[in-house]
Amino acid sequence: MNLTMKHALKYLVLAAALLYPILSFTNEYVLHVMVLIMVYMVLAMGLNIVPGFCGLLDLGYVGFYGIGAYTAGLLTIHFGLSFWVIIPLAAINGAIWGVLLGAPTLRLTGDYFAIVTFGFSELVVLFLTNEIWLTRGPLGLPGIDPVIIDFSWLSTLINPQWDWYWEFIGPQPYFYLGLFMVAMVYVIMGRMEDSRLGRAWFAIREDSIAASSCGINLLTYKVIGFAISASIGAVAGAFLARWTMFLSPDMFKFWESFLILCMVVLGGLGNFKGSLVGAAILIALGEVLRIMLPALNLPTETRFLAYGLIMVLMMRFKPMGFFPSIATQSQKNPILIKLKKELGSS
Amino acid sequence: MFEQQLINGLTLGMIYALIAVGYTMVYGVIQLINFAHGEIFMLAAFLAVTFITVFGLPIYIVILMTMGCCALIGVLLDIFAYRPLRQSPRLAALITAIGMSIFLQNLAMIIWGSRPKPFVQSALPPFLRTTALNLGDASISWLQIFIFAVASLLMLILFLIINKTRVGTAMRALSQNRTSAALMGINVNRVISFTFALGSSMGAVAGIMVAIYYNTLYPTMGYVAGVKAFAAAVLGGIGSVPGAMIGGIVLGIAEALGAGYISSLYRDGIAYAVMIAVIIFRPSGILGKSTVEKV
Repeated sequence: MNLTMKHALKYLVLAAALLYPILSFTNEYVLHVMVLIMVYMVLAMGLNIVPGFCGLLDLGYVGFYGIGAYTAGLLTIHFGLSFWVIIPLAAINGAIWGVLLGAPTLRLTGDYFAIVTFGFSELVVLFLTNEIWLTRGPLGLPGIDPVIIDFSWLSTLINPQWDWYWEFIGPQPYFYLGLFMVAMVYVIMGRMEDSRLGRAWFAIREDSIAASSCGINLLTYKVIGFAISASIGAVAGAFLARWTMFLSPDMFKFWESFLILCMVVLGGLGNFKGSLVGAAILIALGEVLRIMLPALNLPTETRFLAYGLIMVLMMRFKPMGFFPSIATQSQKNPILIKLKKELGSS
Repeated sequence: MFEQQLINGLTLGMIYALIAVGYTMVYGVIQLINFAHGEIFMLAAFLAVTFITVFGLPIYIVILMTMGCCALIGVLLDIFAYRPLRQSPRLAALITAIGMSIFLQNLAMIIWGSRPKPFVQSALPPFLRTTALNLGDASISWLQIFIFAVASLLMLILFLIINKTRVGTAMRALSQNRTSAALMGINVNRVISFTFALGSSMGAVAGIMVAIYYNTLYPTMGYVAGVKAFAAAVLGGIGSVPGAMIGGIVLGIAEALGAGYISSLYRDGIAYAVMIAVIIFRPSGILGKSTVEKV
């Protein structure tokens, strides 16, 4: 496939995705699943920063997802804040917790860091379950308002007849909001990857001794990476809160962290574009299994059994994921391509 | 009150210690957090109940049979899931371990159902439930003495295997340097299999003990117990077997006292908090070798 065709295909897919929700044959359930996929796309991209870019294993990403979700939920219920105010607040709260957890623990490497993040996310779930005065515990947090776009203050100024006030009902508006969120995070990730920050992370991942001898402050860059990753997770959580309008501590169990990690690994560690594919595959697979298993007279728990088995087989036969990043990125460099061509011709 | 909590904590701690040695031994030889170890603990409880209800065997034989079965499961786990990944990155092996854990947990859920079940009381000698000793306000049941005795005996056997036998020497050699150990003529894979078998059979006994002690078993019991035992292994210094024993006991007591005096709601949180604190302030644990961090 040549480059123009590839581009054409890309835009075709994008156009199809944009148009899908307003077509007549659109299925509400499919749309719902697609929004869910978008939430996980954001989570998978955000998580990719820590194990993919910095080379540190994070087993507790769902903790930040939960923090973001409950931040949004509680701020909505108690203070009635707008979604557009909550998103940055949730991101900041996520980043604060990222720094609080990261600063003392990021000097650890490998398994120790993984264990600390794991313990942290379990503590978050315990806190959400037990602090009933704040979170209503296992009963969950119902009645969170949907996303509202409110420009009525502006419209009444211009023309008293107008009412620029939209409440998000049904999956269609969330689909576009989710798409917008994915696009924003995608752009941010792309910019970060090519920035000084991204290069520092890659250097740390490839060889931390060499990186520190080049003047990279290892701890600072790792904490920045961890905090950014945490805030992206919190943004996804805030979106979830205003989309599902219900939160419970069960939604943030360790299993979710594992699922997100699987998406990252499936798409290729360090390749945030692969994370998009990983999220789509695993969520779609979960839904397919959910429908197929009862048809085969198997209990729904088999779904997780299949997930576990797929991860084991994946690690056995394709441990680098479907889109391994490290080699491909440098191959795309125009200077390298030119050099190769010259070397090939001579 | 205090004495009673201490006794309860000690009983719990002995059980944690039994599970923790499985984690720490495997970590010692192949540097892998064997997440599926907690699942072996859970399978042991279910297998024991199945053996009792289906074959009607006495409890002592059931314990031995379950130990054998779990040792086999541990070895098979290593051969099929972990051995092909020896040369691949650590992350791959860790994800495989979590994957196997989820697989086994849901397998148990499909086979035995997800509802909690009581342990078969008729299979137990009736005296186990009676009180053995009264110390002021505190009382010790025969069951607690039984758990304490069995756990101590197993620890002693484990200690002797590791320190006095050829295979134990091989295990220690492997944990120091795998390449050198292989050059000295140690069959690396066989020793790793043996480590899994040993750790899994210890975990199996712990699983049966917990099922009897709390009189309940359910497919997710391995997850929480596994995490706590892992915290115990970290507390004692991961890779160190005596450390895991001490860590288990300390954690059990800390948990019982914390639940009694601070908040019973955060019972499970104490293990996590202790684990995080230990990793931040003293990553090598109580008895662990302090590794020099290069960066």
